[in-house]
Amino acid sequence: MDYNLRIGGLTRGIVCDIRDDGTLSARVDGELFEVRYRVISSNQIHLEIDGAGYNVYLADDPTGRIINLGGTSYLVQDADSLAQGRSRRRGPLEIPQEVTPPMPSVVVRILVAAGDPVEKGQGVVVVSAMKMETTLMAPFGGRVHSINVKEGDKVMPGQILVDIEKQEEEVTACQEELSR
Amino acid sequence: MFEKLLIANRGEIALRVITTCREMGIQTVAVYSDADRDALHVLEADEAVCLGPSEPTESYLNVDKIIGAARMTGAQAVHPGYGFLAENAAFAEQCEQEGLVFVGPPSRVIRNLGDKTEARRTMIKGGVPVIPGMMQTEGDPDVLAREAGNIGYPVLIKAAAGGGGKGMRVVRSPQEFREACISASSEARSAFGNGAIYLEKYLEQPRHIEFQILADTKGTVIHLLERECSIQRRHQKIIEETPSPALSPALRAAMGEAAVAAARAAGYVNAGTVEFLLDASGDFYFLEVNTRLQVEHPITEMITGIDLVRQQIEIAAGNPLRFSQGDIVGRGHAIECRIYAEDPLNGFFPSPGRILFVKEPRGPGIRNDCGIYSGYTVPVEYDPILSKLITHAGTRQECIHRMIRALKDYVILGVLTPIPFLVDVLSSEAFMEGETYTDFIDTHFGSWNPSLNDINAVGLAYVVDQLANRAAPAAPGTADGETYSPWKTLGNFRP
Repeated sequence: MDYNLRIGGLTRGIVCDIRDDGTLSARVDGELFEVRYRVISSNQIHLEIDGAGYNVYLADDPTGRIINLGGTSYLVQDADSLAQGRSRRRGPLEIPQEVTPPMPSVVVRILVAAGDPVEKGQGVVVVSAMKMETTLMAPFGGRVHSINVKEGDKVMPGQILVDIEKQEEEVTACQEELSR
Repeated sequence: MFEKLLIANRGEIALRVITTCREMGIQTVAVYSDADRDALHVLEADEAVCLGPSEPTESYLNVDKIIGAARMTGAQAVHPGYGFLAENAAFAEQCEQEGLVFVGPPSRVIRNLGDKTEARRTMIKGGVPVIPGMMQTEGDPDVLAREAGNIGYPVLIKAAAGGGGKGMRVVRSPQEFREACISASSEARSAFGNGAIYLEKYLEQPRHIEFQILADTKGTVIHLLERECSIQRRHQKIIEETPSPALSPALRAAMGEAAVAAARAAGYVNAGTVEFLLDASGDFYFLEVNTRLQVEHPITEMITGIDLVRQQIEIAAGNPLRFSQGDIVGRGHAIECRIYAEDPLNGFFPSPGRILFVKEPRGPGIRNDCGIYSGYTVPVEYDPILSKLITHAGTRQECIHRMIRALKDYVILGVLTPIPFLVDVLSSEAFMEGETYTDFIDTHFGSWNPSLNDINAVGLAYVVDQLANRAAPAAPGTADGETYSPWKTLGNFRP
């Protein structure tokens, strides 16, 4: 079997040959591993990789499997089926390109009005969730096109609270930067 | 002694109080909101009363409903835990008027110490050193801006009714000042129902050191040594330890005496905590008194062997302390890590959702004050603390290694937690060396990313799971085979 996995933002290609005696041989990005495994429960597998033992814990996620090893949880996804999927959620390290709350929140204050010029990183909306206020920043410089919410509104991640028209100069500046 | 006690709180702290009550033979009454029907404190208490909707003002902050629940169930005493009504003088006063024993200080003490500016005045009178700053709250932004200029930037905006970092902002320049005032005041209003703010000088690189105190109704006041709580994010503590690596025996004695003096100046009764900031030169300043059980109280229990909840209840029942200052000896070292449902890669933003699987660490010197279970949904409405992991060992070094081991053995699947982050903090040279200042996280872990060393093993686990586990169902009789629907889960996962 061949797998192409996305794990914590990295990709690993795995080719493996599983045997019914609880062992398998696998190549991870070409590197060969001999693995002995025991399925302990639907949430736990014990692995011996080249003789070293590991307890691994697993659970489902709507987009893949959550796998915990040594205190860290990883989201593991099948990269091939992800590529076919329509929408992929944003990775942790990509900068948000729109003004949207990171979790269900309530709008506390709106700091800008339609037509206002904004600079990159300027606070535009303050939201509150779980007793904490967070200021959502303008992802780029430009002009506020529209405010889509009012104070007191309950908002969800993915909902665009403020539309900002990107400034032309900045786009050009970026391109110049790139061409240099 | 009381026969029945109501716990006006939720989560792990409600469970903590239930545990001691059970050991003392006291019946417990839990209260809960609609969002907490399946919470562990509701399942564990002898009785449970639903307060109503999940909004805190309709449930855990609703004085009339809680007092009504105490009356209905015949509880004689109310333990407020921490947060919610724990430092609400009006609640304590109403308990007093209704003939209910409030397990905490008298309402007038809470009122005086809860107003931080009033507390500063009390401490100055009592000869306790305080941080330079304003003596009263102020609503006029122009006056505040002028005061900020007088004190000198950086200044710290604080909420008069504050605690837990809510309504607190560090301001480094006059340009940021106004928006910071508005946002601090509004956050304070929504958290405490009081938006009053004041200013203090912001000390650079201080340590946060606090002393646990116990005061009985007979006038005995003692301290139970210190806790160092310098490792904070968003002004909220995440790692606490005792003893502090920064205190010499002489400094410990001096600060302990100041803490007892502070308690006496305030006429304190019951368990409380006197917080200080300690600067690089060894000068310490009174910060505030927390008139409640602290989140981090277990580390004091570990090194002193004293159950603080039991002491609170004994004092509330009018019993004298059974030990004196000379009996208090700290044995070994204890560390607490707070495990929140939060994303360490995204500014520690809360990560609510459904807990799919939990495995708690075990072993000598490990304690986990925990409010979750496999299948439990962490509600979005409240503070996202899941548990507090505490380790105790002979030395600081051993205790750090015990904590790292325990964290690595702690599996929580379904919500994000700071566990990998905490492992890296505890493993860092700066922490090992005791270089723990309140700016520790910003200085050493401002741009943290998890190490992805085990990626190959994780990939192999996925493959085995797909081929062996998914194809053939797990062997019967496995206890952890919690069934759930992926449609109900909030998919929010990544390392």
